[in-house]
Amino acid sequence: MLISILMLSGTLFILIAALGLIRFKDLYSRMHATTKATSFGLLLLVVGVALFFFTGIVLLKAILIVLFIYLTAPLAAHSIARSFRNEDQESRD
Amino acid sequence: MEAIIPETVHYTAFAFLLIALVLAFFRLMRGPTIHDRIVAMDLTASIIMGFILLYSVLIRKAFYFDIAIVISLISFMGTVAISTYLRQKR
Amino acid sequence: MKVLRKIYAIIGFLIYYLVKLVIANVYIAYDIVTPKMHTRPGFHRIPLNIQSRTGLLLFSNLLSMTPGTLVVEISGDRKTMLIHVLYSENEKRLLGEIDKIQEKIIKITR
Repeated sequence: MLISILMLSGTLFILIAALGLIRFKDLYSRMHATTKATSFGLLLLVVGVALFFFTGIVLLKAILIVLFIYLTAPLAAHSIARSFRNEDQESRD
Repeated sequence: MEAIIPETVHYTAFAFLLIALVLAFFRLMRGPTIHDRIVAMDLTASIIMGFILLYSVLIRKAFYFDIAIVISLISFMGTVAISTYLRQKR
Repeated sequence: MKVLRKIYAIIGFLIYYLVKLVIANVYIAYDIVTPKMHTRPGFHRIPLNIQSRTGLLLFSNLLSMTPGTLVVEISGDRKTMLIHVLYSENEKRLLGEIDKIQEKIIKITR
C-alpha cells in the first residue's frame, strides 16, 4: 500500500515537472520546475522501489542514487543558468 | 518483503511517465533557445530513469538499479559538458 | 561535548532540509496545476557571509531546493550571489530567511 502510494506520487511529481516545462513563460521559471519537482519525484520513486525489494545492497544503492541526484541537480541547473545569463547579457549590450 | 502491487498502479504510473515524456518532447521540439532543449533533455533522462525503476518492479529483478545509477551519472555529465561548451564557444 | 553538539546541529539541519524540500515541492506543484499562475519572476543580489567552500556548496544546494529561489551566479570574490526568485513580493521576508539559513550553515561548518 505504502509502496503504491510512493510510486504513484513520484511519477505524479515528474508529470507535474513536465507540465511546468510547458506552462512557464521563461527559461528560469522552467528550471525551477524541473530542478525541484523532478528530483523530489525521483526521490519518492527510488524510495518506493527500494522498499519493494528491501535487501541490503538495494537499500545501499538507493541511498547512493538519492545522494547523487541531490548533489548534481542544482549543479546542472546552475551551469545552464550561468551559460544562459552570459548569452543574455551579451545580446543585450 | 515482496509486497503485491496492483496492476492498476503499474498502468497509472506508466501512463503518467508517458504523458511526461510526450510533454518534454514537445518542449524539445519547439524550445525557443538551445538552453530550453538542454533542460528538456535533462528531464527526459530523469523520465527514462523512472521507466527503468518501474520496469524493475514489474519483472521483479533488482539489478536494474545499476542502470539507474549509470543514467544519472551520464545525464549530469552531458548537461554540464554541453552548457560549458556553449559558454566557451564565443 | 563539542562533537555531540555538532552532531545535533547536523541532524537538525537535515530535518530542516527535508521540511523545506516538501514545502517547496507542494508550493511549486500547486502553482503549476492551478490554471492561474501567480508568479512574478525577478533577480536579486544578496550578500554572502559564508566563506568556506563546503559551506558555499551546502548553501547553494539548499537555496536551489527551497521554494522559489535558484542560484545563477556567484561573484569571483565570494561577496555576493545573484539569485533568481519566483515570488518577488515580500523582499524583506526573503532576505530574513536567507540570513537564517546562512546562520545555520555557519554553525555546522565551523
